[in-house]
Amino acid sequence: MNSDLRDPLVRALGVRKRFGETEVLCGVDLEVQRGEVLCIIGPSGSGKTTFLRCINQLETYQGGRIYVDGQLIGYRESGGHLQPLRNREVVVQRRRIGMVFQQFNLFWHMTVLENIMEAPVRVLGQSAAQARQNAMRLLERVGLGAKADAYPMKLSGGQQQRAAIARALAMNPELMLFDEPTSALDPETTGEVLAVISELATSGMTMVIVTHEMGFARQVADRVVLMEEGQIRHQASPEHFFGEQAPARLKAFLSTIH
Amino acid sequence: MGFDWAFFIERIVNPGAPYLNALGRTVTMAVLAMLLGLVIGLVVGFGRLSRYSLVRGACAFYVWLIRGIPVLVLLVMLFSGLAAAGLFRFSDVNFLGMKLTASFQAAVIGLAIHEGAYMAEIVRNGVQAVARGQVEAARSLGMTSWQVTWRIVIPQATRVIVPPFGNDFNHMLKTTSLASVIGVQEIFLLTEAMSATTFKTFELLSVVALNYLVLTAIWNTIQGVIETRLRAHEIDRPVRTWWQSLVVYMTPSPGGGERRI
Repeated sequence: MNSDLRDPLVRALGVRKRFGETEVLCGVDLEVQRGEVLCIIGPSGSGKTTFLRCINQLETYQGGRIYVDGQLIGYRESGGHLQPLRNREVVVQRRRIGMVFQQFNLFWHMTVLENIMEAPVRVLGQSAAQARQNAMRLLERVGLGAKADAYPMKLSGGQQQRAAIARALAMNPELMLFDEPTSALDPETTGEVLAVISELATSGMTMVIVTHEMGFARQVADRVVLMEEGQIRHQASPEHFFGEQAPARLKAFLSTIH
Repeated sequence: MGFDWAFFIERIVNPGAPYLNALGRTVTMAVLAMLLGLVIGLVVGFGRLSRYSLVRGACAFYVWLIRGIPVLVLLVMLFSGLAAAGLFRFSDVNFLGMKLTASFQAAVIGLAIHEGAYMAEIVRNGVQAVARGQVEAARSLGMTSWQVTWRIVIPQATRVIVPPFGNDFNHMLKTTSLASVIGVQEIFLLTEAMSATTFKTFELLSVVALNYLVLTAIWNTIQGVIETRLRAHEIDRPVRTWWQSLVVYMTPSPGGGERRI
């Protein structure tokens, strides 16, 4: 905590990213306030996921700056020059940023409980007893208390995703990133995952959610952002974003989804 | 003539010290060649995933070359070919009080070179099989590269590597018989020598065939138990001890849902 609590938790300034010849992020400017729930929507290939992955350095960015809690992500700035951080430093920056993936990505060879205990024990150095107690509390919270000793293979997609959310929360993050958390789920299990995320939203967690679920975005978000061709095109409160006075281009995009 | 059952059974019940020594040599040769082959396979397999194209190329060349040469040719080339060309001659050495004959060393090294090429492909496949997403998830939790490799990649790659590794060892137990050609005193060479003096050729070959069968059967059971342990996460019953693994392996699964090698 080396910054003013009134400062935004995430501040992205002109973030650029290129894969080979293709520019995926063309100067993304975005702020996320503490406790805010921000939903990013947009067509596929618009750079939403890439931007999210840049925040916790699963991707590097080549231009601009991303600050989380006042700390420049991925680089050290000295005399106007950016120098990439060493692996060891990157690892430390990631600890307070939780990430939930489209494909859940649970560790296949560990039980649900072991999945959740792994990072707190190995990374934060918690005792097994402490980590277990915390993990069980989180599992109860996401409604999976009975599945602690099950292996991921035995769980439904919705259960796996709830376990993955518990795993990210176990690191006690100050920021949670969700990358299309329900895109790989059946309609029947989508609801149970959205319910968990909604509950988390009301608890005051700062969250950035990339989603295609418009109804969910409208209900849970404090602010909705439209991303297109690597840029933020529009941002507004959900009422304005999905309301009648939204710009024509936004309505056109929304109509392609509904 | 017919089959001399009495002789056959006598050979099994009372094989004698020379035969037991030869049996020990067969098993030792297979185990050593396999371990050395595993080391070669790990180096070459990871080498094929290297970020340096020169390393990748060299390792791919090794696999390509060795998989195209018959083991028998490789063994004779190492033992006789190199000596004939004056390049290298294997000689007997004493190791921890045991005498390792020249032909035994050549056999172990030749079999290992051969096995290493196949092992490399198995290792490469195993590492690639661990889902990229799990590695990213581990990194996103703040785990170091070292922790990701040891806690996430290797345990899962091992599961993929063990079944084909076991199959290769099964092959290796029998491939050792080729070492007879360069004069390693293993069970097949001894059998041939005995049949030349007793003329009980068919009985003796039956004994040695049965012997290889018993070796592979024992190994298959060990392999089954190891694999059962490694896929404990797919089995409904708790499998924590070696004994439980053996029981699970030996129990026919209802509906045949569980895979057996």
